[in-house]
Amino acid sequence: MERSDVRSLYLLGAFLACAYALPFLVGAWAGTVRADAAWLGILTTVVVSGVMQGGVYAMFAVGLTLIFGVMRIINAAHGEMVMMGAYLTWVSFFYLGVDPLLSLALTLPVAFLFGVAVQKLLLNAAVGAPELTGLLITFGLGLTMIYTVELIFTTDFRTIPYAPGTIQLTSTIAVGRNRMISFAMAVVISLAVYLFLKLTRLGKAVRATALNAEVAMVCGINVRRIYLITTGLAAALAVAGGALVSIQFGFNPETGVVYTLQAFAIVILGGRGNYVGALVGGLMLGVLENLVSLMIPNGTAMVELAAYGLMIFVLLIRPGGLMGVKEG
Amino acid sequence: MTWREHLRNLALVALCGFALALLPSALSVYLRSFMLFTMMYVVLALSWNIISGFTGYTSFGHVAFYGIGAYVCAILVADYGWFWLYTLAVGAGVAALVGIAIGYPVLRLKGPYFAIAMLGAAEGTRVVVAVWDSLTHGGLGISLPSAETSMETYYAMLALMLLTIAVAYAVGHSRFGVRLNAIREDEGAAEALGINATLYKLAAFVLSAVFPAVAGGIQAYKVLYIDPPSVFFVQITIAMALMSMLGGKGTVIGPILGAVLLYTAQELTWVNFPTAHLIAYGLFIVLVARFMPRGLVGFAIDQGWVRKGMVH
Amino acid sequence: MTTSRTLAGALGVLLLAGGAPAWANHRPNNEALVGGAISQTGRYAEPAGRQVNSIKLWVDEVNARGGLLGHRVRLILLDDKSDTQSAIKLYEKLITEDKVDLVLGPYSSGITEAVANVTERYKMPFVAYGASSSPIWEKGRRYIFNIVAVAEDYQKGAVHLAKQIGVKKAAVIGEDSLFPRQSGKGAKDWAKQLGIDIVVEENYPQKQTDFTALLQKIKAAGAEAVFSNSYFADAAAQLRQMREQNMNFKLYSSTVGPGLPNFPEQLGSTAEYVLGFSQWEPLPKILKHPGMDEYIAAYEKRFNEKPNYHAGSTYGALQATEAAVKKAGAFDNEKLREAMATIDVQTVFGRYKVNATGMNAAEGLTFQILKGQRRVVWPEKWAEAKPELPMPEWSKR
Repeated sequence: MERSDVRSLYLLGAFLACAYALPFLVGAWAGTVRADAAWLGILTTVVVSGVMQGGVYAMFAVGLTLIFGVMRIINAAHGEMVMMGAYLTWVSFFYLGVDPLLSLALTLPVAFLFGVAVQKLLLNAAVGAPELTGLLITFGLGLTMIYTVELIFTTDFRTIPYAPGTIQLTSTIAVGRNRMISFAMAVVISLAVYLFLKLTRLGKAVRATALNAEVAMVCGINVRRIYLITTGLAAALAVAGGALVSIQFGFNPETGVVYTLQAFAIVILGGRGNYVGALVGGLMLGVLENLVSLMIPNGTAMVELAAYGLMIFVLLIRPGGLMGVKEG
Repeated sequence: MTWREHLRNLALVALCGFALALLPSALSVYLRSFMLFTMMYVVLALSWNIISGFTGYTSFGHVAFYGIGAYVCAILVADYGWFWLYTLAVGAGVAALVGIAIGYPVLRLKGPYFAIAMLGAAEGTRVVVAVWDSLTHGGLGISLPSAETSMETYYAMLALMLLTIAVAYAVGHSRFGVRLNAIREDEGAAEALGINATLYKLAAFVLSAVFPAVAGGIQAYKVLYIDPPSVFFVQITIAMALMSMLGGKGTVIGPILGAVLLYTAQELTWVNFPTAHLIAYGLFIVLVARFMPRGLVGFAIDQGWVRKGMVH
Repeated sequence: MTTSRTLAGALGVLLLAGGAPAWANHRPNNEALVGGAISQTGRYAEPAGRQVNSIKLWVDEVNARGGLLGHRVRLILLDDKSDTQSAIKLYEKLITEDKVDLVLGPYSSGITEAVANVTERYKMPFVAYGASSSPIWEKGRRYIFNIVAVAEDYQKGAVHLAKQIGVKKAAVIGEDSLFPRQSGKGAKDWAKQLGIDIVVEENYPQKQTDFTALLQKIKAAGAEAVFSNSYFADAAAQLRQMREQNMNFKLYSSTVGPGLPNFPEQLGSTAEYVLGFSQWEPLPKILKHPGMDEYIAAYEKRFNEKPNYHAGSTYGALQATEAAVKKAGAFDNEKLREAMATIDVQTVFGRYKVNATGMNAAEGLTFQILKGQRRVVWPEKWAEAKPELPMPEWSKR
């Protein structure tokens, strides 16, 4: 890496350190932080919870970063794909009686095909076009998805009651069973995709296209096909994220919007197109949000600021993110 | 463009303005509101176009300025008893300052990064407004004392619209505009030619921030109740972008056309097909972005109806 | 040139649009036009939907009785999409364009506050049934009346019960919008009056789903009870996350969520022992308001479920409105206003008699979810069951 690259990385690291220290400092000043064992136990619980949350966030972000990395398109409908995943899982659970995790076997292929269709019909026109085109197309797609789902399912909140119990990790730290299961699933799926990208020929082709599509074409890679596969994969990952959401939280047609913004923040933090970066970014965001909520007075209202603040500062200091290259 | 053509365009705009000025007394209150919002969207689309169309920096968070203008007006009128017209000036000033504060760092980013950063900025502004309870009443929203007749706000918006059109036209046809276009086409080359890109970009950005703020203030005074989600609504930015794109980004007539057509179409479908219209709107956005990215003006140029020029 | 042609075209479109919405019929067929906008989509659709049911039921019954002042009632119900700006536009349209004779209120305090500016400007009186935040009535408005109990009293029962079981410290949390903040304020005031210390007070944004850290914060501060000013999604999330983290409180109450019919079903055993507030319950033997049996039977027959308090309050408000129209003798705004301000009637919801600012002295009920059913536990004069408090620990259920 060149010198300015390294410098901006250090700068970003310093900023992140400050960002994480901030809740502690504010908490100490406001009196919400105590130094005793009980409070440390609470802190650990919150951090653990943040890591688990982050794992699920990371899954949303990974799909987005793939699309952004390979095609330079910003998918504003990503949250809606997650929402779609939640509804598909819900339907399989309540109408087909299928366990939410097993239903992934059904929903993932459907999601993949959906992604391929979206790419073929809509997004191929946006590759190489100015970013507004991709943004608007996906935004319109997202809106259409929200209102179609609303028409079918109404805006009533749904959720899947699944594994409601708790797991006691230590005497002070308890974690929800369904949260643990979600995290485990997220890890498994992320690992699977990571191995796919790293080891298989197709995966390498995807990474090559992300680095430089023209050179990839020259090397004989069918770039058009890669695009289809990328969006299909991203949609599948989003839907998997949605399944995990459906067993933990309530959702309705409009909950996807928040996920899209969080995913953006994570993608920026981790580095456009960087898979591991997205995973790391997801974990970091999950933890930071929980720290803010715990220690800053009225912090829960400011949780969104954590995502946007991170995003903006990363963009200003080092647009390439943690793992990306410093971009001019 | 020759002087005669400029004069002719000016006359046309003045004629429209005159007609619109005479209109309100003949219309029902509902239609007056409709016209007011149409004019508001013209203002918004034109402003957005200055930074995103002329200069090529697609802003996805312009609604932040609209919201700021609305809140400044609401706070000053409801909590401090100001006369509303003065609050508009203050709103414009605050928006300009915020524009400089946000613009200076963020305009260093390129393309999609700028767009996302602006989106983050808009959402961040919304959260700040919601959390800063003591000043903004947070999630409670602000209710303004109801004293206006719908005529005052109508005329205010009309005046704003004419002003915005004039400014956009002036920018588009001046050397300033040419330089903005140069920045859009190739910033490096523009700088090499001696154009201080940073200054020009910032100027365009601030200019594009001021008019939405005033529009937001007028709207707050008309609607008499605002809260963070309603004035920092992402879909307003989308509407601005879509209208400009529909009409033709980077032109003057484009955003005007796009705003009028889209808003009218939206209102008609909403009134007549309340449930389906949102889906139709979503599909419409997809179709326009997919098939008509250069907008109506671009289409007209392709068809040869219109002379290919820099700005119309 | 393009500019002139397109400008002319734009003008043409504008003029055309002027003629487009053609709904300006006033009293065709000698009908009375009754209109309003209510949330049929969006986040308020679930509770507002029940209100819509009552409205439709009432309109049919009124027409069967010969209409209002001899005019058949025609209902116009628009959808404000749970959005204040849409609601404002719709009411302006209904009043100035459709020229409705009578206005029906929207759902939610936030939207009602916004709409009240419009109705006040055009002097159209109405009895609100979807709003309970007192600031709406503290602004000197003359054309809006209320039938339901105020937001500030929603947590009254819960706070009193907390005191009864010896709670000393509690937390007040809620969504950051008008109604939850008002009910939170009320909770704080009642707690102060009864000597309970509020150790955490926080608002969260509307779409918040993860409350882990907030709950931990509450636990860390030593709170024994949680007064949550929440709707469905947030209350559900809070309860589940409390269970997941094995967090035990002596008492948990939520304002709107538990009152929604599918809350106990969707949450199963997690919803057990939760306290909720209801303006009204379909319990004729306990509340003994006139006409309750007939109303409940008719509602159940048509909608396959018992009416909940959203439905009941709406019906009561409409009964009061009908009585006011009769007293006024005409669809005259001032006469209607005078009537609404002065009548004293018994409705299925309870007594309607407003004070000088337009508020009714209604009292609500606090219930607890026991074995999946809502049972009234407070105030004692209306209690069907004894409250089972403090809540048993999660591990012991």
